[in-house]
Amino acid sequence: MTEHFQITLNGKLVETDIDSRALLIEVVRDCGAKGAHIGCLTGDCGACSLEVDGRLAKSCLVLAVSAAGREVVTIEGSRDAIARELQSAFVACNGFQCGYCTSGMIMVAIALLRANPSPTEAEIRNAISGNLCRCTGYEDIVRAIASAADALRGRTFERNT
Amino acid sequence: MIRHNFEYRAPREIEEALQILAGAGDDCAVLGGGTWLIPNMTFAAHQPGIVLDPKHLGFASISECGGEVVVGARATYVDAMRSPIAVAHLPLLVSMARGITGGISITGQGTIGGSACYGNPSSDVPACLVAMRARLRLRSIGGTRDLGASDYFLGKFATARRSDEMLVGIVFPKMTSDVRWGYYKLKFSTGSWPIVTAAAMVVNDCVRVALGAATAVPILTEMVLPADGGGEPLAELAKSCASISADEELVDELAGPGYRRRVAHSIVLRALEQCRGRE
Repeated sequence: MTEHFQITLNGKLVETDIDSRALLIEVVRDCGAKGAHIGCLTGDCGACSLEVDGRLAKSCLVLAVSAAGREVVTIEGSRDAIARELQSAFVACNGFQCGYCTSGMIMVAIALLRANPSPTEAEIRNAISGNLCRCTGYEDIVRAIASAADALRGRTFERNT
Repeated sequence: MIRHNFEYRAPREIEEALQILAGAGDDCAVLGGGTWLIPNMTFAAHQPGIVLDPKHLGFASISECGGEVVVGARATYVDAMRSPIAVAHLPLLVSMARGITGGISITGQGTIGGSACYGNPSSDVPACLVAMRARLRLRSIGGTRDLGASDYFLGKFATARRSDEMLVGIVFPKMTSDVRWGYYKLKFSTGSWPIVTAAAMVVNDCVRVALGAATAVPILTEMVLPADGGGEPLAELAKSCASISADEELVDELAGPGYRRRVAHSIVLRALEQCRGRE
């Protein structure tokens, strides 16, 4: 069944007709936001992580039609200071190898650092425990997130002094 | 793309939702957080003719009602963790929510009510609800009924919810300040399903333990704590709470025959030791 569908995707209103059987990850990618990846389709790998109304979501677990009217942000639309710092830190720390999990990892890290600017290593590992890196590059990913948190805290300190 | 055709319905009123359920029966699936239903539909393990999305109906709040707390059926694990009411009055539930497998996206998407409806024995929610004397609030066009958790879970992926009923909330008696509690689970890795869970509550010298994931439905044990509550007596108590026959033991690819029977008492003991630590 075809449904008329409208979302705000990375700040832009998108209107299209979709199949009611489509998953949000599929529709988002069809609309051009290919930074979110399709991986397992079981909710295990986290490659499809994005934000729906400010909340982190695995978009393979969301019926697209159910997200109609919502505000969806993928890595392409994540441009605040936290996102920029994380992207720099992932490059500096070699936080990616093949890159397939990277956008999902960064989306999770953005959600983590927004809620908790000073995460412990255990909190970082817990946050990304729903995201799989098929290259097993977890150590560098954890280091990148910790490094971004340190840099962001340093900037806050500089602003306040 | 989900392969089979289905009708998506997102009613604006609960009465409309209940009419849909009454008409469709087993052919209708109610969408919770989607963490179970959607992948099961993607891989054609479940092919409902109607998907009922209750997103316009509320049931996502956590509120106090006298000596009880009502957790809406659509409340997520994160909602419980962030709720001052749950943190103050349902610390066992909050502890369980914090330990859910799958990282911060799954705890933000998955719902406590959805897990209760799915009835997966290898999950965290069932034993907690049984230990906490929770009641499942079920609504149909015929009215509303509350069902105790001990009577609600009937077997593997089987509950007492009728196909014309919708879970609208879970009602918990408040845990008073004199309640000591513990929650412990065994899992093989960060991302693994629980192999055995134990939820324990101690009030005065009465202990209530629900052993989860070891059998198709949680095993509830209520007894009086031995006068000397530590060491050997506590270990004996744990053993009596974790007595499982070979016939009833849950066996799967994660834990073969005999494994859960061997480890269950240790997990119960750790939950009981947490209770002692909160004296």
